[in-house]
Amino acid sequence: MNLKRKITNYGIAFLIILSLNFLLPRLMPGTPLTAIYGEEVLVQMTPEFKASLIKRFALDEPLYKQFIFYIFSLFRGDLGYSYYQSGSVFQIILAHLPWTFLLVGFSLILSTIGGIILGIESGWRRGKITDKAILTGMMTLSGFPSFFMGIMLLLFFAVNLGLFPLQGARTPYADIYGIWLVLDVVKHFILPLAALVLVEVSGCYLLTRNTMIMTLRKSFILTAKAKGLPDKKVRYRHAGRNSLLPVVTRTGIKLGTAVTGALFIEIIFSYPGVGNLIYSSLLMRDYPVLQGTLLMVAIFVLAANFFVDLIYKKLDPRVQNAY
Amino acid sequence: MLKIKDLRVSYGKLKVLKGVNLEIKEGECLGVIGESGTGKTTLALSIMRLVDEDSSASLEGEIFFQEKNLMEMDEEMIRKIRWNSISIVFQNKEDALNPVHTILDQVKEPIMENGGESKKEATEKAIHLLSQVGLASRCIKAYPHQLSEGEKQRSLLAMALANDPEVLILDEPVSSLDTTSKADMITKIKRLSRGYSVLVVTHDISTVAKLTDRVAVLYGGRIVELASTPLLLSNPRHPYTRGLLRSYPNMTTTKDLQGMKGRMQPVEKGCPFYPRCTQVVDVCKRKNPELQKIGERFLACHRGGILPFLKVKNLTKYFDSFRAVDSVCLTLYEGETLGLVGESGAGKTTLAKSIMGLFHSEGEIYLEGEKVGERDKKFYKTVQMIFQNPRESLSHRLNVLEAVREPLDIYKIGSFRQRSQKVEQTLTEVELPSDEEFLDRYPHHLSGGEIQRVVIARALVLDPKLLIADEPTSFLDASIQAKIVRLLLNLQEKRGLGLLFITHDIALARKVSDRLVVMLKGKIVEEGPTPQILSSPSHPYTRNLLRVAPTLT
Amino acid sequence: MHIKYWEELKKDTFGKIGLVLFLFFIVIVLIAPFITRDPQVQTALVFEAPSLEHLLGTNDVGQDIWSRLVWGARTSLLVAIGVGMLSTFLGALIGASAALIGGWYEEIAMRIIDAFLVIPTVILLILVAAFIRPSIWLLIVLISFLRWQGGARIIRSQTLSLKESVHISAAKSFGASRFYILFRHIIPDLAPILVVSFIYSARMAVFMEAGLAFIGITDPSVVSWGKMMHHALNFYYLDIWKWWLLPAGMALSALILVFAFLGYSLEKIMDPRLRKSNA
Repeated sequence: MNLKRKITNYGIAFLIILSLNFLLPRLMPGTPLTAIYGEEVLVQMTPEFKASLIKRFALDEPLYKQFIFYIFSLFRGDLGYSYYQSGSVFQIILAHLPWTFLLVGFSLILSTIGGIILGIESGWRRGKITDKAILTGMMTLSGFPSFFMGIMLLLFFAVNLGLFPLQGARTPYADIYGIWLVLDVVKHFILPLAALVLVEVSGCYLLTRNTMIMTLRKSFILTAKAKGLPDKKVRYRHAGRNSLLPVVTRTGIKLGTAVTGALFIEIIFSYPGVGNLIYSSLLMRDYPVLQGTLLMVAIFVLAANFFVDLIYKKLDPRVQNAY
Repeated sequence: MLKIKDLRVSYGKLKVLKGVNLEIKEGECLGVIGESGTGKTTLALSIMRLVDEDSSASLEGEIFFQEKNLMEMDEEMIRKIRWNSISIVFQNKEDALNPVHTILDQVKEPIMENGGESKKEATEKAIHLLSQVGLASRCIKAYPHQLSEGEKQRSLLAMALANDPEVLILDEPVSSLDTTSKADMITKIKRLSRGYSVLVVTHDISTVAKLTDRVAVLYGGRIVELASTPLLLSNPRHPYTRGLLRSYPNMTTTKDLQGMKGRMQPVEKGCPFYPRCTQVVDVCKRKNPELQKIGERFLACHRGGILPFLKVKNLTKYFDSFRAVDSVCLTLYEGETLGLVGESGAGKTTLAKSIMGLFHSEGEIYLEGEKVGERDKKFYKTVQMIFQNPRESLSHRLNVLEAVREPLDIYKIGSFRQRSQKVEQTLTEVELPSDEEFLDRYPHHLSGGEIQRVVIARALVLDPKLLIADEPTSFLDASIQAKIVRLLLNLQEKRGLGLLFITHDIALARKVSDRLVVMLKGKIVEEGPTPQILSSPSHPYTRNLLRVAPTLT
Repeated sequence: MHIKYWEELKKDTFGKIGLVLFLFFIVIVLIAPFITRDPQVQTALVFEAPSLEHLLGTNDVGQDIWSRLVWGARTSLLVAIGVGMLSTFLGALIGASAALIGGWYEEIAMRIIDAFLVIPTVILLILVAAFIRPSIWLLIVLISFLRWQGGARIIRSQTLSLKESVHISAAKSFGASRFYILFRHIIPDLAPILVVSFIYSARMAVFMEAGLAFIGITDPSVVSWGKMMHHALNFYYLDIWKWWLLPAGMALSALILVFAFLGYSLEKIMDPRLRKSNA
């Protein structure tokens, strides 16, 4: 029942994105071709090329046929054609995706683990000086928008101190291999990652701390203490484990916003991920790439959320009966 | 085994335990009984040294476990005591079991943590324990939410026994269960806790009755009474214990449920129970009574427990040569109903009138421990009587106001206005109107029930502590009778009014009396707590009375 | 349980800081015309260092940075309050009506809400904004329409539990009308949640506006902190970022902090389990 409802939700969400993607350019004034590619590009296109595009996306057909065509081409992995980068949108996105995965994945893992540990320790020491210090620090951190955090790290560590490269994911045209290549990538990776982790960690921390405080009031904590378990086991095995559930849900939901958060960081560090792709296509008004990216990100987020739903069942035995 | 000395616990400014002394002997089961907020759970947690967890809590006093003071131990030492030597079964409410671990894992956990057994041994032991408490094997690897309340409670018991502790604490072990699982659980506890020293903390009197050897009554953070369980339950001597038993629905006592006046409130100094007590004297408000040994029990009361209010010794009354009352001895305690049952002509009214001094009689009478000679005004201020025929006991010339005011006039208490106010107040107390119109009525304008209430009001207007009620309802319809009886019991609850309730109707006496006295031909043939006389009457006359008593079948 | 929100808020450290800062922003924004010059006027004085004349110096086209900073606060606060009100209104309307009406209507509303919750709204917003280049008012509407669902969900569940609560049943048993119950009981009981929803929407809106301005897809004629940072970043090799980029970023962070503090504090007050007093 619950699972069915979830799938319906994902279905509806997917449909909304698809329709928006399809409708937005076609609702703009002018021919769809103008809307999809923009005035500037059309001027440069040859009539034959235009005709081939119209044929490829069935732009001379009525709207519903266009939609059917659109869906079919999506299933073929055809997300459109980028005139600027003269290539398939799908291929372009695919080339950028790994960098974003790297950034989002690592930052999510680090910020979640960091947030959970800090949250558990802070909640456990509630009201003590350590807790107050961590809480205040985290609250302050939560005020920094990702792009400002990125800029500050960039200005301080890269520009002023010169410790890290200014931009990119690796040194361009450098002829390096093996371990040196890895080191080079890591060097480029640290600042964007740090910025993202700093921005993300406070949310996870606050949630963990709150649930921790509530969990600590439960009777089973008293049972655990009465059993003579050492503090650490009470804190992690009993209190922490129970505080984990909402955090995991949140991390799932966060997957979507993490891509967004990474977007600004990628722009600032010119990190060649999907976010940067969005930005550069925005600057060039490369709308097909923009749309394709949105679709890919949406699918990715939906999949991630679904995955979290599955994990959740493993973590909380009570949920199993709900299905 | 476990000795608690002057244990004081407070959370911030709130004092929860104010000097508790208790000893659990080896192999015995001690109950601690009290209402919510009396500090029962705090007591249980203090022994485990678990109250320290609350940063606002402060602990004083000593707790000796096998001659070692738990209060002086550091965290690491106390951790080794927990579960290995002292374990606890928490009340199964709001997740006493961790919802994300299986039952087996949770029972296994302390065995592995403290015992140093291998994983396999621990698992075997846990399974053995769980089957001992009667948990079906399908439940063993289940999660808590998949079990019933009874199964969860049994798992908690198995868990508590995991490390073979010396002392087992049970905190409300059956309160979350329905009656059937409760009975089952109590049997299990009884069987499995044999050999352990057990402390049962509960508000449920029947649990205490079934499980414990001795029982302590906790009120306002202090122990007010401590005795062997059968003694305490059949013959409570602290006013609080009596109040607690009176308010507990059960199949043993037959008297209507009664509460206690007021509510529990923190007391700065003096006896914790004094704001609710009906026999308070000055010292109760100033000094806290110590727990002292009185006979077979321990009691903390400045007045030595519930006062023997009226004592009659060898009272004999002759009418010419006929012995209407033949060396009667009886005791009426403060705030209790003593039912005096017997057929007409048994000498009940004669006895009552003799006590009141309306007949001259032989023998001795003691009021609050003092011997009474001539009945003076002081006596009548304390003891009042309502007569068998209420209509006759009111003068037809006096209206309600004048009739009820009469005792005040006689004693010249207060100004005229104050007297009228007192009358109105008393009329309200007996649930009568106190407006002009009613005050002006004469007895022949009143119904039977109203007359009886006016008579009661007149008896109460002097604030007596003892009311002798001679067949107070025999002239009334059943529905009115019920109301009058209810009224008297309410007054008893509120004022601590002692009642000598004279009736020929044992079925009525059964509903109002704490104790019964059966009178036959001027002599008392049987005396004792009501439930005991009803269930095992010793005199043939009593048995006969019970046989002919009204029933509905 | 009755909670004195205002008293509790003033007692809480985070709440206190939040309130003071919020008032500070409001005052600055109100007196902006008196403490600044026209933020749009371009002069020949470019890249001036801070002086009494130009408190924070001038930018690449000779505009007074201080004035732009203050007027940027206007934009941010306008978007914050606009989105806060509109999205809370939408959330309350749809959430409460779903709970009160129920049936098919509720089912559909809930499906839409849940679907929106898994959509990456920021990216969708960027796409839409890129196509239509919204004015500040349109931006408020856009953000609100993409961000009412969280509030709606909470308001619905709260309304549902309110609907079932005994004091409402009691009011019904006295013969209270639907309107009476709505206005006398449900709306007042929802008020704190609406306030929290407002605060979180406002916080997110401030971030979104700055972010969109930062990547350059908002109305170019509006002064905005995001845009200031975007511009300033182009000149990172000059010292000018210290009084151009940094103040804008700090102001933005401070405003987001205001909402974060107020929201956290209010949530703590509303959930008695998180409060300290009943330890």
